[in-house]
Amino acid sequence: MHRFVSPWLLAAAIGLAGVGPAVAQQRNNGISDITLAAQTCNVCHGSASYISPTMPAIHGHDANALYTALVEFKTDKRPYTIMGRIARGYSDEQLKALADYLAKN
Amino acid sequence: MTNFSRRHLLATGAAAATAFGLPSIVRAQSAGRVVVIGGGFGGATAARYIKLFSPNTEVTLIERDPSYVTCPFSNYVLGGIKQIDDITHRRDPLQQRYGVKIVRGEATAVDTNAKRVRLKDGAQINYDRLVVAPGIELNYAGVPGWSEQAANSVMPHAWKAGPQTLLLRKQLESMADGGTVIIAPPANPFRCPPGPYERVSMIAWYLKTHKPKSKILILDAKDAFSKQGLFVSGWESQYPGMITWIAGKDGGKVESVDPKDMTVTAGFGKEKGAVINIIPPQTAGRIAIDAGLAEANGWCAVDPANFASKKARDVYVLGDASIAGAMPKSGTAANSQAKVVAANVVSSLRGTTPPAAVFHNTCYSLVTPDYGISVTGTYRPGPQGVAEVPNSGGVSPMQANAAQRKAEADHTAGWYAGIIADTFG
Repeated sequence: MHRFVSPWLLAAAIGLAGVGPAVAQQRNNGISDITLAAQTCNVCHGSASYISPTMPAIHGHDANALYTALVEFKTDKRPYTIMGRIARGYSDEQLKALADYLAKN
Repeated sequence: MTNFSRRHLLATGAAAATAFGLPSIVRAQSAGRVVVIGGGFGGATAARYIKLFSPNTEVTLIERDPSYVTCPFSNYVLGGIKQIDDITHRRDPLQQRYGVKIVRGEATAVDTNAKRVRLKDGAQINYDRLVVAPGIELNYAGVPGWSEQAANSVMPHAWKAGPQTLLLRKQLESMADGGTVIIAPPANPFRCPPGPYERVSMIAWYLKTHKPKSKILILDAKDAFSKQGLFVSGWESQYPGMITWIAGKDGGKVESVDPKDMTVTAGFGKEKGAVINIIPPQTAGRIAIDAGLAEANGWCAVDPANFASKKARDVYVLGDASIAGAMPKSGTAANSQAKVVAANVVSSLRGTTPPAAVFHNTCYSLVTPDYGISVTGTYRPGPQGVAEVPNSGGVSPMQANAAQRKAEADHTAGWYAGIIADTFG
């Protein structure tokens, strides 16, 4: 079911990331799976153009630190409020792709 | 009004590719015209993200009201911890920053064959793709004895925020200490499943701090409700003895109301209220029904992969009006569905492969201003509709310390600021 990004696709997405605000494109000029998935975070965490006064900023964050945090939320190694429940909606591979995308957008 | 079958859609797809008399490659580069009906969390987010994904696409947003009073946080106006101005927002940034054309007016008809929306003033707007996000219509006839006139005078619904919120607040302020507030939530499905119970919490907060001898009686059509364990546990610790909930199976379902006597008759008997809040049964917003997009049950069936209407070609229905499987009717759900719709609208106009859909919902509720609880979920399209990803999501833990409840109350405020920015820009 999960058609998440392959490495080349992610590379293409990153290469075109400057085209629009936080909107990268797939090689066929389409919107990539990871581009769409990453937009779900904006509702709480803001975007490159809106910094939340209370929620941690995730756009432009270090990719490794983001990925580590997401996996630790998912496995309850970093117990907090809601992020564990959200992170468990994604595979580790998907979390990695999300972290990489968010770091660059 | 046309009922398109899947087979019909496939058959017309090839013809549509040359509908402009242009080679398909040229058509694929056309940025297209999109009309969005409704400027709430669903419609406004769709308009904004279509512009983010494809700045050259012409997006027209049709909206009746000059500003948006959010249902989320309207319970805090009732509780006295927010003012109506705090929850009233303008849509101007959509136009100024993103180039969405906002048309003030009411969409009264859609010709899905000619691909044209008609407004109340007679104006007509053509579209290549239509996004329908009209929210809900309240069924005043669904509660015998109640009426729109009763709602606007003595028994408000306050389920569309604005004057109704202020009316209910005024009634709470006017009631004497020791009175009973009756709240009657409807059967599923309805807008904002935890909303009635957060409302109970916020009214309890107001009563506890201003009229502590008063009581709240919940006359429910249902036998269970969203975040029930968390709400009930919160009420017991924060408002002991104040709140009584009567389930549908115990006679809680309201059978009729009498606005003159200020009484409610439910299965278990008749009760008088100092304040009575009727939350009626609902359907998709009227334009969705008038456009032939709704099923017999009043809600709009959609393809779970992209929220395309199952009734009309090149039309998408999202938010409260849609049948969204496991997703609740919430602002966050509408915001998330809108991003999937935006990506699909842009992909279909460009002729590119749409991305795989993933949906998100989070609903925060306050038990007190410093006591927050949440439910969240991640969803994917499935054979039975939109389905929750197994072993993910869920509600806040039943056992949590005050600091954790406070953190979720802080996140409630952070979420609100976030969704306003994400919706209106």
